[in-house]
Amino acid sequence: MILTDAALLEQALRGAEDAFTALYRRRQGGVYRFALQMTGSTAIAEDVTQEAFLALLLHGTRYDEARGTVASFLYGIARNLVMRRLDRRPGADVEITEECAGPEDLLEDLTRRESIEQVRQAVLSLPPVFREVIVLCDLQDSSYEDAAAALNCPVGTVRSRLSRGRAMLARKLRGVAMV
Amino acid sequence: MKSGDWVGTALRSLAEHDREREAPEEVEPRLVAAFRRRRARWKTKTVVLATLGVAAAITLFLARPQPKPKQVVPMPVREQPIAVAAAPAPMPMPVQEVTPQARQVKRQPREVVTQFFPLLDVAPPFERGELLRVTVPASTMRSVGLPVNEDHLTDRVYADVLVGQEGLARAIRFVSYEQ
Repeated sequence: MILTDAALLEQALRGAEDAFTALYRRRQGGVYRFALQMTGSTAIAEDVTQEAFLALLLHGTRYDEARGTVASFLYGIARNLVMRRLDRRPGADVEITEECAGPEDLLEDLTRRESIEQVRQAVLSLPPVFREVIVLCDLQDSSYEDAAAALNCPVGTVRSRLSRGRAMLARKLRGVAMV
Repeated sequence: MKSGDWVGTALRSLAEHDREREAPEEVEPRLVAAFRRRRARWKTKTVVLATLGVAAAITLFLARPQPKPKQVVPMPVREQPIAVAAAPAPMPMPVQEVTPQARQVKRQPREVVTQFFPLLDVAPPFERGELLRVTVPASTMRSVGLPVNEDHLTDRVYADVLVGQEGLARAIRFVSYEQ
């Protein structure tokens, strides 16, 4: 029988190591990728993943199933950790300076690593409030509701930020093409 | 192609590219080690404090004060003496007036309590519990960071222990009395 995240968390908080390990293995990838796509740093992503699960052990009793999934609770923790790191290194966001292909060519080139890295840099250059909804909804496939729970904001805010974030992203990629 | 379409495609490509990315393998053993340390600390603390709480509760139960005799409010002496046949006339007795001050119940000392100090690092969800008034050595106050004079470490102090539905002592607060 496959236990839900909530059941695993409950058992882990009661001291079950197997449950903790299972929950970690199930959710670490998403947390790691979220931190990586938010910061562009594998070192920070590693730290954030570790700290997020430690925080889950410490504050897991605060989890309320009625307010969202365990995954969104974890993303919420990871998001706070990421934001703290970003605050500590203001201006460290990557700016797009390289020339990249235009929209039509971009589609054709997406299989190439360089193009993907250019998209990554464009995402990283977004302001954090727009970046986090793009990362959660477009890159992590979170639902609007889960993203709202993770970001502690209304679903409508997620929708509007997502829309604005995508528009900014389109401009950035197009702008780069015109350089 | 609409800009939203190619931005969506670009983001999906990035998501697909990152899909296999996970936290480095060394994170898991570090977290498991941290989990075990926390669990060991939690177990030790729980056993010690539960034992302390139960022992204190038993001590308190055995040493509980016996019920005091009911306070008798002095009644005013009847002015009309009871006539007894063939008996000498009774001596006039002074009438004892009961003043409002005399009627006042003796003021109880005021109870002063500290904040609650958590006893468990990771507590299972709280459903219901009981507050037990116990006596503990003053040294217990030190264990939660309260200052205690060296000369009074073995003195007994009153404390309220919050015991959860599963019998674990979850929190403690200390009680003193002010006149």
